[in-house]
Amino acid sequence: MSKIEANLHKALKKACSIEESAPKRKHLRTLIVYTWDHHSSSEVFEALKASPFVNDEIQLFKSLIVLHKIIQEGHPTALKEAIKNREWIRSLGRIHSSGSEYGTLIREYIRYLILKLDFHSHHKGFDNGTFEYEEYVSLVSVADPDEGYETILDLMSLQDSLDQFAQIIFASIQSDRRNSECKISSLIPMIAESYGIYKFITSMLRAMYRELNDPEGGDALQPLRERYQEQHNRLFEFYADCSSIKYLTTLVTIPKLPMDSPNVELAANDNDNNENRT
Amino acid sequence: MLRSAKNIMKGYSSAQVLVRNATANSDEQISRDNLDEISQLTYSNAEFFDIMDMLDKRINDKGKYWRHVAKSMTVLDYLVRFGSDNCVLWCKENLYIIKTLREFRYEDETGVDKGQIIRVKAKELTSLLMDDERLQEERRLNKS
Repeated sequence: MSKIEANLHKALKKACSIEESAPKRKHLRTLIVYTWDHHSSSEVFEALKASPFVNDEIQLFKSLIVLHKIIQEGHPTALKEAIKNREWIRSLGRIHSSGSEYGTLIREYIRYLILKLDFHSHHKGFDNGTFEYEEYVSLVSVADPDEGYETILDLMSLQDSLDQFAQIIFASIQSDRRNSECKISSLIPMIAESYGIYKFITSMLRAMYRELNDPEGGDALQPLRERYQEQHNRLFEFYADCSSIKYLTTLVTIPKLPMDSPNVELAANDNDNNENRT
Repeated sequence: MLRSAKNIMKGYSSAQVLVRNATANSDEQISRDNLDEISQLTYSNAEFFDIMDMLDKRINDKGKYWRHVAKSMTVLDYLVRFGSDNCVLWCKENLYIIKTLREFRYEDETGVDKGQIIRVKAKELTSLLMDDERLQEERRLNKS
């Protein structure tokens, strides 16, 4: 094993240590930086697969957080590699019995990650795990309204399951008065991801309204708009809940949404008429 | 002192010594003159690489040396605004090094959060580097 690989294994071992604590950012960063330095993520996945974390619930949960963060912040190869290893990730969900608290969290986390990976393998335009805004994806989708409609629907399902998972984490944090940093730290990638998805849906929906600029188009988009409003409200609550956890607020900036969902029906050139909506 | 002995032993170039002194583990602030001197040196090719190598080392230092990281971010931020075009290219190429510091965390023995300053600097520098228009405008204004 080369020195670089040895460092990789060491960082992984430390990031997924047995203590019930947040994965240390320092070690996580080493893993992320590795994927960029080498333009490749297969070594990280090999190391993950070879490690014995799966036997301990807390270690397994921590390694899922690590995995999620690497997909989000790592080189685009991390996302590709994760899609390739979907079945392995799925299999991790069957190791621990459903009884324990972490057992439930692990299964829910995996369910979410699989949905996310399915989404990415269907919609290739998003080549980065955090849904950082890229103009061309919305243009491509809008040029073909059917495809755009479907993409938005899929993004919304992803947002729904993210929200469900976040609820489960919150419930388990509240029932457990002890040090819950480990569970809380799984909310960090969720905050970034939910906001990325939200921004995508907002701008794509807006672009769709602009494209189908007639009453018929408006009717067709009506169901999406209603669901959008619903999701906006839930996301607003989610961020409010996150803001009440001090550990989170010092570490990440929690986005602030407006009280009401933004109006997506207006064309880009008359943004000032927000009040006139019916 | 110890650092100057180390500078000689490790055979650092004068540009590297300059960076090492500017980003030293002390509470002293970096002076504007120091920043200017470093940014002028980035216009020469040989020294540019020396400087960037040293900054790369400092920025990836461990939590205990959070001052190295914080001060290097200050230098980098200055270079992006006032240094050669190569500094901007280097930062864009290595954006992930800066981006991944947005969640930097370090608490000293008394439990005080020393990471905040680094998280803020990392966020600010990342958004500057991703906004080409703003970056060009800033660099244009700084030149005149």
